[in-house]
Amino acid sequence: MILAIQRLADALSVGSTYALLALGLTLVYGVMNLINFAYGMMLVWTALLAVLLIDHGIPIPLVVFGCVSFAILLSVATGWIAFRPFLTAAPVTLLITSFGVELVLQYAAILAFGNYPLVLQIPSYLNEVLHLGSLRIPKVELITIGTSVIVIGCLWYLLQRTSFGIEIRATAEKPEVARLMGIRPSRILVVVFAISGAIAGIAGLLWFAKVGALTARSDLDPTIKAFVAIVLGGLGNTRGAVVGGLALGGLEVLMSSLLPDAALGYTDAIVFVSVIGILLLRPGGLIGASTRL
Amino acid sequence: MGRQGSLVGMIGPLMVAALVTLLAVVVQGATSGAINDIIILFGINAILVVGFQSFAGNTGIMSFGHVAFMAVGAYTAGILAIPVTLKPIVLPSLPGFLSHVELSTFWTLLVAGLVASAVALVAGFAIMRLSGTGASIATLGMLVIVNNVLSQAHAITRGPQSFFGVPQDASFGWVFGSLIVVVALSAWMKWSGIGLRSRAVRDDMMAAEASGAKRVASRLWPFVLSGFITGVGGGLYAKDLTAFSPDSFFISQVVGVLVMAIIGGLSSISGALVGATVISVLVEILRNLEAGIPVGSLVVQAPAGISQAVLGVVLILMLRWRPAGITGPLELEIDPRRWRVPGGRSRIQLGSTPPPRSGPK
Repeated sequence: MILAIQRLADALSVGSTYALLALGLTLVYGVMNLINFAYGMMLVWTALLAVLLIDHGIPIPLVVFGCVSFAILLSVATGWIAFRPFLTAAPVTLLITSFGVELVLQYAAILAFGNYPLVLQIPSYLNEVLHLGSLRIPKVELITIGTSVIVIGCLWYLLQRTSFGIEIRATAEKPEVARLMGIRPSRILVVVFAISGAIAGIAGLLWFAKVGALTARSDLDPTIKAFVAIVLGGLGNTRGAVVGGLALGGLEVLMSSLLPDAALGYTDAIVFVSVIGILLLRPGGLIGASTRL
Repeated sequence: MGRQGSLVGMIGPLMVAALVTLLAVVVQGATSGAINDIIILFGINAILVVGFQSFAGNTGIMSFGHVAFMAVGAYTAGILAIPVTLKPIVLPSLPGFLSHVELSTFWTLLVAGLVASAVALVAGFAIMRLSGTGASIATLGMLVIVNNVLSQAHAITRGPQSFFGVPQDASFGWVFGSLIVVVALSAWMKWSGIGLRSRAVRDDMMAAEASGAKRVASRLWPFVLSGFITGVGGGLYAKDLTAFSPDSFFISQVVGVLVMAIIGGLSSISGALVGATVISVLVEILRNLEAGIPVGSLVVQAPAGISQAVLGVVLILMLRWRPAGITGPLELEIDPRRWRVPGGRSRIQLGSTPPPRSGPK
């Protein structure tokens, strides 16, 4: 029983990180059909900046604020410079463009921070493990789950309950009609990239706080997980992203606890095979693909 | 073009391949073999780009997973080509029947291609059911799966450790001979019913399906053929490198092939060959720049890794200003039957397959 609760907490923590990652990605996909390969680089840049700031002894709240602001700026800048000219291009073109953006951002990161592992030193009071009876839950896990719930809640409120959210959803659903109704596509683009950047910043800090170390080339792992989560949940809608992220996290924790020791090395392969299996049964993803944010 | 049959359609791309080979021969002669390594690697890259183009060009789906076929081809070729005497040292726990096998170059490459195409068949059966974007991402998943299996199956791959001992026999003849064969295969498929159906599904899925083209099958067979070609390329890569590890075949390998295919022109085989040539030369220049090039009394030196950033920028600019690549949708088409028609259209012409109007939905 205790073990089951322990696993559930693990699954929630991993799954909510994936859900966050997927949300940032799916928002942009919903509005402009862009699967952003450069997304992972936003996380890496944020975490690299965090390493720099923490090493200079800047207090944690300020580091978080600075890093997330930076992620927003970076995301809006790439959106405006690299992706805006492709607003009406085919999804394949956008995907390849983002591949190019990833190469450039990665090279810039290597120039700025070097090509060797850096340690993201989080303060020791965040590194503690809470003991509830025989249940052991790391604080980082709780913070991850809590932050994700708050971010997802805020995003839900923004999208569903504000006029701004209605504009974003309208643009995602019917760009031409939204434009006729006086919604400026470029303004929506900036806002969506800003939200996506904020989420990437938060997710980047959570991700690399848990992993501990990173290099300028660490972007691939979060990118792949976010990609798989949005396809698993259903491309282009926020519910799909959350469901897909949680399902992927659950699947990973389930596999690593069920598999015999001999097969543990193959966890990644088995998880991905199961994802492809699920997609075989439901090609549109668990929720179904639709561009309704 | 389709009406004139797939055999005639092969002539144009084959001539481009012959031209590329001739160019390689001339360069090799002019430098008296000093840059032989670079030329061999260029030929292997050209094969990989043709393999990539056979799938992405015909179906309009971007694949990140082709490196997985390359990896499968390389490991298969490696296991089959290591001399029997060396096998107990390199792979002590290899299953019995494999430890007594040592195949010639031809059979090694053929089996490498076939094994890779078998992987493509199995994976493609599932992946090709997804929408275009979903399929792109699923190919990335396939790459992760293959990478994971290669680095865990210690008995046959040495796991994450370096795989070594492959005899180095990727000669000029084998590489460029294979290039011509795979170009012929790719062109044959492009102008066969399979290729026509897959481009029909790419351009207008609903109309194509209404006309009887099956979506999954139309994407699956190009995937299998491109898996074969990429597997052969991987086999040659193994025979050129002689030592490699699973990490030799991951995302960083995708970059080169992808950029070559896009810059050259994704929708034609001629474009793939042009792109491979142009980018190979560019990368070589940049690599020399990283080492430092003396200009007058100064030495111009670029920071290490500049080629990656340049490729990224070139990719974005190209997509912005010429999304169809250097050749665009043009394919060299030569129709000998027109020779007999007096006053007929010019015999040699650049035909064109329209690029995808909008991306796959």
